[in-house]
Amino acid sequence: MTKKADLSVTFCGKRFLNPFMLSSSPVSNSAEMVGRAFDAGWGGVAYKTLVTDRIPIYHPSPRMHGYHCGEKRLVGLQNVEQTTDRGLKPNLLDIAYLKKRWPEHVVMASIMGFSNQEWADLAKACTDAGADMLELNFSCPHMTVEGSGCKVGQEHELVEKFTATVRNVTSIPLVAKMTPNIADMNVPALAAKRGGADAISAINTVKGISEIGLDDWVPKPNVYGKGAISGYSGPAVKPIGLRFIAEMASNPQLALPLSGVGGIETWIDALEYLLVGASTVQVTTGIIHYGYRIVEDMIEGLSDYMAARGIRRVRDLVGKALPSLHDTGAFDVKKQGVAAYDLDRCVGCGQCHVVCRDAGGDALEWDGEKRRPRQIEDKCLSCMICSFVCPVSGLISYKKMPASWKRRATVTLGAG
Amino acid sequence: MNFSKNFARMEEKGFDLDQAVTEAGRCLLCHEPPCSKGCPAQTDPGAFIRKIRFRNVTGAIRTIKENNILGGACGVLCPTARLCEKECSACGIDRPIRIGKIQRFLIEHSWKIGFHPFGADAPGNGTRKEKVAVVGAGPAGLSCAAELAKRGYAVTVFESKAEPGGVLRYGVPAFRLESGFLEREIDDVRALGVEFRCSKPISGRRSAERLLRDGYKAVFLAVGLWNPVRLKEGGAALRGVFTSMDFLAALREDKFREIGKAFEGKACAVIGGGSVAIDCARSALRLGAADVYLLYRRSYSQMPAEEGERAEALKEGVHFILLNQPFDYLSDARGNLKGIRLIRTRLGAKDSSGRRKPVEIKGTEWNLEAQAVIEAIGYKPEKGSGSWYPSVAVDKSGLIRADEKACRTSCKGIFAGGDIVRGPDLVVRAVRDGKTAARSIMEHLK
Repeated sequence: MTKKADLSVTFCGKRFLNPFMLSSSPVSNSAEMVGRAFDAGWGGVAYKTLVTDRIPIYHPSPRMHGYHCGEKRLVGLQNVEQTTDRGLKPNLLDIAYLKKRWPEHVVMASIMGFSNQEWADLAKACTDAGADMLELNFSCPHMTVEGSGCKVGQEHELVEKFTATVRNVTSIPLVAKMTPNIADMNVPALAAKRGGADAISAINTVKGISEIGLDDWVPKPNVYGKGAISGYSGPAVKPIGLRFIAEMASNPQLALPLSGVGGIETWIDALEYLLVGASTVQVTTGIIHYGYRIVEDMIEGLSDYMAARGIRRVRDLVGKALPSLHDTGAFDVKKQGVAAYDLDRCVGCGQCHVVCRDAGGDALEWDGEKRRPRQIEDKCLSCMICSFVCPVSGLISYKKMPASWKRRATVTLGAG
Repeated sequence: MNFSKNFARMEEKGFDLDQAVTEAGRCLLCHEPPCSKGCPAQTDPGAFIRKIRFRNVTGAIRTIKENNILGGACGVLCPTARLCEKECSACGIDRPIRIGKIQRFLIEHSWKIGFHPFGADAPGNGTRKEKVAVVGAGPAGLSCAAELAKRGYAVTVFESKAEPGGVLRYGVPAFRLESGFLEREIDDVRALGVEFRCSKPISGRRSAERLLRDGYKAVFLAVGLWNPVRLKEGGAALRGVFTSMDFLAALREDKFREIGKAFEGKACAVIGGGSVAIDCARSALRLGAADVYLLYRRSYSQMPAEEGERAEALKEGVHFILLNQPFDYLSDARGNLKGIRLIRTRLGAKDSSGRRKPVEIKGTEWNLEAQAVIEAIGYKPEKGSGSWYPSVAVDKSGLIRADEKACRTSCKGIFAGGDIVRGPDLVVRAVRDGKTAARSIMEHLK
């Protein structure tokens, strides 16, 4: 047997067995659930957001809607989930139980107050219950209670104020969770830092409309005849999450550890978050789709990847893509290339021809007899869309062209 | 025993919407789809599968029905492995898209959701004054009638049997194509306004010419082949000897009690290696036969039956006796079949069909005990059928001479297609002939 790679990582001074966490959501709703997740291999949890018992929480019904793309199920998920609808006491008992039963695992209690006092009360209660750290939920996009959720995340003074309130009552690490429903996440992240946050987690769900009923014209989930713009998550939002993590990781003024969230299902998704600067990652929609078991493949996949490259610690991967991340203005546009075809492997579907003609440089003629494309190299735009639709992986690749190579100009039809 | 339940429903399950969408999701959406070129009736799978992919399910149904009025039956019965699916580009990756199953699903789905692709504003039968007669309500006749009716011609279909459908009804067992399915597909033809006159054989002298005289501006002859080739003249006189035609038709006419008696618990044999022989053998099993032997004079790979149905028959327990030529029957004094005389064969040189010819091996005659036998060795035109249409040229076997491109016969105004022109052939090619003939008839009537 090969030696298992050490996936442990330190985040806000706390040691995690691995960087894989449940994010604060229905998948972390109780100790019974979280315990099973820990047994399955998850390294930590952002426990389902706690609120005080002052305002009872009722969930709309139904509370979620799946977004399917063709035969691919659940590429996105829309929800109108609220914070926990369990009482504060049962949740605190569960948190204490988790810490006692799984001392090696990190329990981060997510909290959301509806006033300064509530933030303070919740923070103290969770600290007393034994939580390792706190996640401040400034970002839920669809709370039905005013003065909460991402409305806070969009008001930067409130982010700073509530963080400072919590900072005053507890010494455990504070992670501020950010909404992506803004233009620049660095602004509220810096506000949280000023308030005393130790780390940032992002992204919460993206506001969206996943589907509209064609018979009743009610957006989904259809809550007794009413729909709402609400939180959208899943694989479809991963590029947005990566962007926000990368922007914060590249900001030297922020300089806080980051926890990446958004569309993670596989070790590759997780690794990409690490490479743009996250040191832990959190998952909900992937678990909603496949269950806790996916962590097995995240652990094994990341271990094998690291072993194959001789990378010994997860932290050696954190931020490694950032030196290659530039503004588009930095590109050397003198260097050009074309798509190259290994036609021995071609199955003759002709999709490359269709998309090149209708969306590219019209650089692929079609030999209907042989059912093969024929490239006119100097018309190729190197957009590479042909390679995206080709059913044979690797058949179409990118080929660098010499500096002397010139692309033909697009035909003009109008008379000069 | 009551065997009717063995013939009540199609045994092969169809797709549901999820399965169809998933399967369509594998489609490579080819440019100039080769599957579409592989369909003799131009049902255009490339288009209807793409339509499913883009959530245009009603459009997909419309594509099938506009191109092939028997799209459902073809989806069920077509040997897709050597037509559309053979051309599928996904074969270059792993396996073809299951086009036949998707096609069948779309037609069943149209019935489920009550979608009528031709709608209420179809031109409808009889908006033009020209009357056209179609002789034979099999696949070719139904296809031609539907094409013409869609364009407003007044079409009357004359059928000798009690119900329309031809081979789809009387030549295919219901566990492959159930009556209800066929009925709904024929209803789609009726909905276009086509008039059916069943139990109206056109078998008198000069019947076809008379239709022209009676005011029909054109006649399409699609009478099919209903005269079974026999192993031995006089064989029918023995109790226990059936032709595939009578056997399959009896099952369709619900004569289970009567026919079951001849097969239940008995040793049975089917002579032949084509699809009809396989259908007969599998039907005999479903009538409770103790043993069913399939007797074929060549080898497994030369059998004309489709690969899939051959395998299915073997799996169900049909005993294949290959390289044996049956040549006579044994009977008792009361005229009951007792057995079959066979002689072993070996494969010799290739014959005109390109297959190696069976050569009898001298001195290898043997007897197979059997109480029932079904002869499934081919069909030919009915005796004297040439006299029903004397002005139409026929070849020496009685098949009508008509050009494949236009289905024109030697007589102006009379067209022909399907098995009476081609000899035994696929349903989907008969559908094509019907479409071709309809085009020629419209041209003729201009």
